[in-house]
Amino acid sequence: MSDDHHAHAPQFDYQPALPIPNGKAFMWLFLSTEIMFFAGLIGTYIVLRFGAISWPSTHDVHLAEIWGATNTFVLICSSVTVVLALEAAKKNNASAAKGWMVLTFLLGLVFLGIKMYEYNAKFSHGIYPQLPHSQIYEKPDVYYAQAVRTRLNTLKAELENKTDKTEEDTASLGLVDDLLREVDAAEVALRNEPDSPAGRIKIFELADKIYPRASIHDHTSSASHAATGDSPFHLVAAEHETTVGGGHLEGLNDKYNWLKLPIMIPGGNMWASTYFLLTGFHALHVIVGLIAFGLLLTMTLNRAAFGTIENVGLYWHFVDLVWIFLFPLLYLF
Amino acid sequence: MSTHDQAHAEHAFNADSHEGEHQHDIRLFIGIFIALCVLTTMSFLTYFPFWRTHVPVEVSRAFMMAVSCTKAMLVIMFFMHLKWEANWKWVLTVPASIMSALLILALIPDVGLRMRHASHQRMIHAAELPPKEAGEHNQDHKPATPPANEPAVKKSAA
Repeated sequence: MSDDHHAHAPQFDYQPALPIPNGKAFMWLFLSTEIMFFAGLIGTYIVLRFGAISWPSTHDVHLAEIWGATNTFVLICSSVTVVLALEAAKKNNASAAKGWMVLTFLLGLVFLGIKMYEYNAKFSHGIYPQLPHSQIYEKPDVYYAQAVRTRLNTLKAELENKTDKTEEDTASLGLVDDLLREVDAAEVALRNEPDSPAGRIKIFELADKIYPRASIHDHTSSASHAATGDSPFHLVAAEHETTVGGGHLEGLNDKYNWLKLPIMIPGGNMWASTYFLLTGFHALHVIVGLIAFGLLLTMTLNRAAFGTIENVGLYWHFVDLVWIFLFPLLYLF
Repeated sequence: MSTHDQAHAEHAFNADSHEGEHQHDIRLFIGIFIALCVLTTMSFLTYFPFWRTHVPVEVSRAFMMAVSCTKAMLVIMFFMHLKWEANWKWVLTVPASIMSALLILALIPDVGLRMRHASHQRMIHAAELPPKEAGEHNQDHKPATPPANEPAVKKSAA
C-alpha cells in the first residue's frame, strides 16, 4: 500500500476514500442514486394521487390487497434468505450458501409470478396504461356513449356477417341489440332534455352495467370512500340490489367476455399510468436482481465470493425496501 | 449454521474486508424477519372493514407510513448491515436522504396547497363531484345541486 520506492519522498500511508472495497462503495453510490430515483417516482405518485379530483378504489381496478401483502411477505422472506446465504458464505459453507441462493431466486420468481397474475387481472379487464389497449373512460358522457356504440356496431357487423349462425350467436346478437337500444335511449334523453341529468344518468347506469365499480356499490363503505356518498350517482347506483359487500363485481364485460366494451372508471387513466409505472420499474429491478442471482448460482459461493454476494444482497434489500413503501401506497391508501 | 456471538462486538475497519466482517447471530435475523412479518400484518389490518370504520383514514395512512419507515429502518440497519458499518455509511446515506427529503418537500406545495375549491369549469368536466367540494357546495346553495332529486327524475323518465 504505502509507496516507498523513493527514499527521500515523504512517507504517506495510502488512505482509500472509503474504507470499503470498491465494489461495495460503487453499490452504495448506485443505491443512493436509486433512492432518489424512487423518491421521485413515489413523490410524483403522491402528488398525482392526492391532487386528483377522483381516484379509483383498489377494488374498482381489480387490485387485490391480499396479493400485495403476499408479495411483501415473499420479498421479506427472500431478503432473509440472502442474508443467510451471506452468512453461510462467510463461514465458507458453499453448499449452504448455494441452497439459500436458490431459495432466494425461487422467491424472486414467485414475486414476479404474482405480479404477472396481477397485471393479467388488469389487462383482461381493459385496464392498460395507454391507448390503443386501454378501454378506460373517465366520465359517463357522450364520448363514452360513442365509444360503446362503436364497439357494439363492430360486434353487430361481425355477428351478422357470420354465415352459419349458431343459437349462441343469435343470443349474442340479441344482447348487442338490447345494449344498442340502451345507448340510443340515453342519447335521445341527452338530446331532448339537455338540461336534465336523465341522459347522463342513463349513460352512467349503462357504464355501471358494463363495469360495476365496487366503491359505488359498497354499502359498508370505508371511511375513505364514505365521502363519495354525497355524489349524485351513488344514490342511483345504490338502487340496484347487489349482494356484494366489497371485492370485485361482475359486469357485462365479465359475464360475456367477448363484449370487451369500453369501461368507465373516474380517475382510472391516471391510476393505471402511475400503478404500471411504479410497479413496472420495481419489477424491472426484481428482474435485474434475478439475473444477478442467476449469475451467482454459477459461482462457488465460498468465502472468496463474499464481497459479490454482499453487493448483490445490498441491491436485493433495496428492491425489498422500495416494495415496503409501494405496498401500502398502492394497495392500502 | 449456528452461532458465534461476537455479533455485536464492534470491529475497527480491517484492510482485508473479509476478515473484518462480523459473525452475526442467525437468531437476530430470524427476529428481524418475524418483526417485519408482524409489521406487514399490522399495515394489512387497515384493509379490514373493522379498522376502516373505526379509524380515520388520515390516521391509518400516517400509521401505515410509520410502519413502512420502521420496516425500512429494520431492513437497512440489519439486513444491509449498516448498523455495524464504520462511519463511511453517513457519507453515502445522508446526502441521498437529504436529496430525497428535499424532493418530497418540494412536492408538498402541490399536495398541501392544491386548490380546495374546484372551478366551475372543473366541476362541469369532473366525472364525479369531488367529495370535499360537493359537501361545501351543498351547504352553500342548495337549489343549484342536482343530487337530491336526481333519482326521482330518473324514475319518472324510466
